[in-house]
Amino acid sequence: MVAHTRSTRSSRTARRLNAPRPALVESHAGGLPRRVNRQDVSTVCEEWRVVDRWWTEEPIARRYFEVVLETGENTVVFHDDDAGAWFTQRA
Amino acid sequence: MIAAIVIQAFDLRAALRPRPRLQAKPAALAPLAGETLIGSVTGPAAALGVRPGMRLGEALATCPQLELVEQDPAAVEQAWEEILRRLEDAGFQVEPIEPGIVYFETKGIERLYGGLEPALKRALAAVGPTWDGRAGAAERRLAALAAANVARPGQALIVSDDRTRSFLAPLPLQLLPLERERYEELEELGVRTIGQLAGLPGAAVADRLGPDGRRAWSLARGERDSSVAPRRPVAALHETLEFPEAVGNGLTLRRGLAVLVDRLLARPERAGRPPRKVAVWARLVGGASWRRTVTLREPTADPARLRAALGAKLTELPAPALKLRLEVSSLAEHTGEQLELVAAEGEVLQHRLREGLRQVRAAVGAGGVSTVVEVAPWSRIPEARAVLVPRDD
Repeated sequence: MVAHTRSTRSSRTARRLNAPRPALVESHAGGLPRRVNRQDVSTVCEEWRVVDRWWTEEPIARRYFEVVLETGENTVVFHDDDAGAWFTQRA
Repeated sequence: MIAAIVIQAFDLRAALRPRPRLQAKPAALAPLAGETLIGSVTGPAAALGVRPGMRLGEALATCPQLELVEQDPAAVEQAWEEILRRLEDAGFQVEPIEPGIVYFETKGIERLYGGLEPALKRALAAVGPTWDGRAGAAERRLAALAAANVARPGQALIVSDDRTRSFLAPLPLQLLPLERERYEELEELGVRTIGQLAGLPGAAVADRLGPDGRRAWSLARGERDSSVAPRRPVAALHETLEFPEAVGNGLTLRRGLAVLVDRLLARPERAGRPPRKVAVWARLVGGASWRRTVTLREPTADPARLRAALGAKLTELPAPALKLRLEVSSLAEHTGEQLELVAAEGEVLQHRLREGLRQVRAAVGAGGVSTVVEVAPWSRIPEARAVLVPRDD
């Protein structure tokens, strides 16, 4: 069996920029992230919600957090309320 | 319709061309330097339980008589290019994916050969009987690839649009464009066929596997994938120098290269156009091959600059060479550059930018250059703000 190669994706297809990527996040009981991708969160700088497209079949309900990790890295993660999963994304 | 031709274990078949008798014996491609996993295997080796990607020790324990064949990337490239040229000579506009997999659009060619099936038979004949090519045709790329995988050697299998979903359903997930870890993850979850994946809820697949998983799910459900983007046929322009004995001396190799550069630049087919991308190839002592490609920052027909760009690569030769070849992979469109007395404002920068982009495209192929297009910069959803559009113009 010759496997489908990832390079077969047409070179002419437009792609989304900044698509969310799955993240490994451990959170406190209140939902605040405690560890992101196996690194401790030292500060949660900001928090906001995005609720959109609720009138479509693919509604969006996300709780975003801008955090600083123990390494000093600044990153943004969000919890997708519909999927029940965490993602990372440049906001 | 879209057709696919698949040649299984192409890299091994190409490496075995000088020793065809090994095809009938248990043989496998030896691991690359520093690696432990074997490559493609012959039919007799597979029958004895050897699988591609096995650890070398495990493969030898499974089949002690297994013969290891050294990888020969230059032979693979050369054999694949010969096949593509034969297909192009027969009128097929091909989109090669990797050695052993090629797509083409059958619209237009069907009339030439009197129907879809005769066209596919003609394509298989162009590939050549020794390669055991398999052809598949369908309205979508994924189904065409799957049909070619399912077909027997020398057979052409056509899947009609209404049968596509039922045809794909029992086939293994490996036909979908996913990373190896994703297949394993799905198999652990008990999802082993395309049909099982198609039956899952899209949101759950996207959550677990991300955007690639979502795309694979869409393909599994029969959504239309991309069309064929045929390559531009390249002109065969190469010069070879055979040494009377193996040469490892840097000075002699550079002199040999200088002769090849002069011969290549004198070829009339070049029609004054300077090379943009060149490759230097060597046949090494012991039968292995070596190849390096150079994309020039600025296309040039200046022998000194070509020698300087290519000469540095010769220091990477891992063993003495018996044969040296210089190939032009891509020529620039222009034959010269007219200087202006006063350049318009910004024009020089624009020109340099265009040249830079052409260089990137020549180096990495179609799709190497993209433009960010803002579609909804005001959106609160970050991924909805902009898309990446490939620029192949």
